[in-house]
Amino acid sequence: MNVAPGTHRTPILVEVERELAELIPGFLANRVNDVASLRALVSRNDLQSICRIAHSMKGSGGGYGFDAITRLGGEMEQAARSGDTTKVLALTDELEDFLVRVRPVFP
Amino acid sequence: MSTEAVSGTTGTLLVVDDDADMQRLLSLWLRAEGHTVRAVSGAAEALTQVCIARPDLVITDLRMEGMDGMALASRLLADAPSLPVIMLSGDAAIPDALAATRLGAAAFLTKPPTRQALLTEVARQLERSQAGASMSGSFGAAFIHRSSTITALLEEAALLARGDISIMISGATGTGKEVLARAIHAGSPRKEKPFIGINCGAIPEQLLESELFGHEKGAFTGAATRHEGLFVAADGGTLFLDEIGDMPVSLQVKLLRVLQDLEVRPVGAVRGTPIDVRVISATHQDLEQLMLVGEFREDLYYRLNGVSLHIPALAERREDIPPLTGWFLSRHAARTRTSLKRFDADALELLVSASWPGNARQLANVVEQCATLAREERIPLAVTQRALRGHAGQIQTLKEARDAFDRQYLVSVMRLANGNVATAARLAGRNRTEFYKLLEQHRIEAAQFRSDLGP
Repeated sequence: MNVAPGTHRTPILVEVERELAELIPGFLANRVNDVASLRALVSRNDLQSICRIAHSMKGSGGGYGFDAITRLGGEMEQAARSGDTTKVLALTDELEDFLVRVRPVFP
Repeated sequence: MSTEAVSGTTGTLLVVDDDADMQRLLSLWLRAEGHTVRAVSGAAEALTQVCIARPDLVITDLRMEGMDGMALASRLLADAPSLPVIMLSGDAAIPDALAATRLGAAAFLTKPPTRQALLTEVARQLERSQAGASMSGSFGAAFIHRSSTITALLEEAALLARGDISIMISGATGTGKEVLARAIHAGSPRKEKPFIGINCGAIPEQLLESELFGHEKGAFTGAATRHEGLFVAADGGTLFLDEIGDMPVSLQVKLLRVLQDLEVRPVGAVRGTPIDVRVISATHQDLEQLMLVGEFREDLYYRLNGVSLHIPALAERREDIPPLTGWFLSRHAARTRTSLKRFDADALELLVSASWPGNARQLANVVEQCATLAREERIPLAVTQRALRGHAGQIQTLKEARDAFDRQYLVSVMRLANGNVATAARLAGRNRTEFYKLLEQHRIEAAQFRSDLGP
């Protein structure tokens, strides 16, 4: 990512369980990796692998407290199923933007 | 399994998910509750862990690379039929949920699960299987099931077992009446003494009499030696009288006397022998109906029926079919010293949806046949279909089924009408003459339905 976290975009505050504090950085780092993988997969038109990543995002995001990731994963899975790579790329951009701006806060 | 007062039942849990983030999240939630957690990323590893770690519960993702959650569930069903499985799926597709439950999954949760939903379900399943295990000394293990109706029945039976009250078990052929009777005996203070069973319907009257009560040498032609009889043989233990409804009325009188006097007098003997026997009887017939037509003695009925237990037909508790199937498969493997076979998912679904007029006994036969016929480890749908068709002989003919329905229907209408034939005929939309004819055909007497409260 070429934008340093939070430098000139509005942060998104997300409340997450205190117990998950240790896991959050790893989880978000994996999603950053997903962004790179997704772009590479779109260029190879590997829809099946895109589906798998999107499905995982959908399944795990909400559990960690990031409903946005679950929503993006769901939409991306749909888009990949219908072969809409433009939509997949747009959603990947959205995911990247979210990852840059998100600030986990612990209640 | 350790028990912690704060968080309720805790156990060893196996988490199966090919997404590492999901594994970590679920593990953290579960460990925070005091559970011991093992997490693996595939079904194959899960099967190994089931053998090594002996988990109390499996939580698996539905869609995984390689063997998916559904295949894992069907495999676990054969390997560890009593191990509960919670299935997680990214899609709330009802067909998936149905298929999963049919394959024996105890619960189905949509991903992402909320912490609360997951922990509640885990606690529920652990409590359930622990309740089953605490009973399983004789009951849970002896009577394979997953349905709550059978759990409730076994709980009642376990309590009754400790006492000495006579028990009457009702249920259709093949539902497991003898299995239940044996479990009651095994859970009773009489368990060290013999359990002796006899089918009262399968033996001619005179033979049945001497089988039950014994005879002296020379008591009748052919009685070359003294025979002590089953009551004496079962002394201190349990005597199981199967198909009691088939016992001839003349013998019913003698049986009643034995039960009243607690003393048995062998045929040809002068003096009686005191006996201490608990009687469990069973029938697939409607004894109240037999009493009405004078084929079963009322006094004997009340003597035998201290308390009654009813085993529902297999078709009324289909959730018991997967664990029973798994159990029959393991039994087959053990008996034949062959490797454990398992049903393909679609084959298992066929078993779950079949009609099973012959109940668990028929299921046992079909599973045995499939396991014998299948050349590979997996039993395919085609083999299962063939085995089920081969057992079509146990299916009622159309006439039998219609007659059974008519009888049932007529009885309920007559009950509704309090035995008033004119009213019943009107309810049934038939004229009186026609209706009378039907009653006669099915030997149903109007008087049986007239209560003092009726019109």
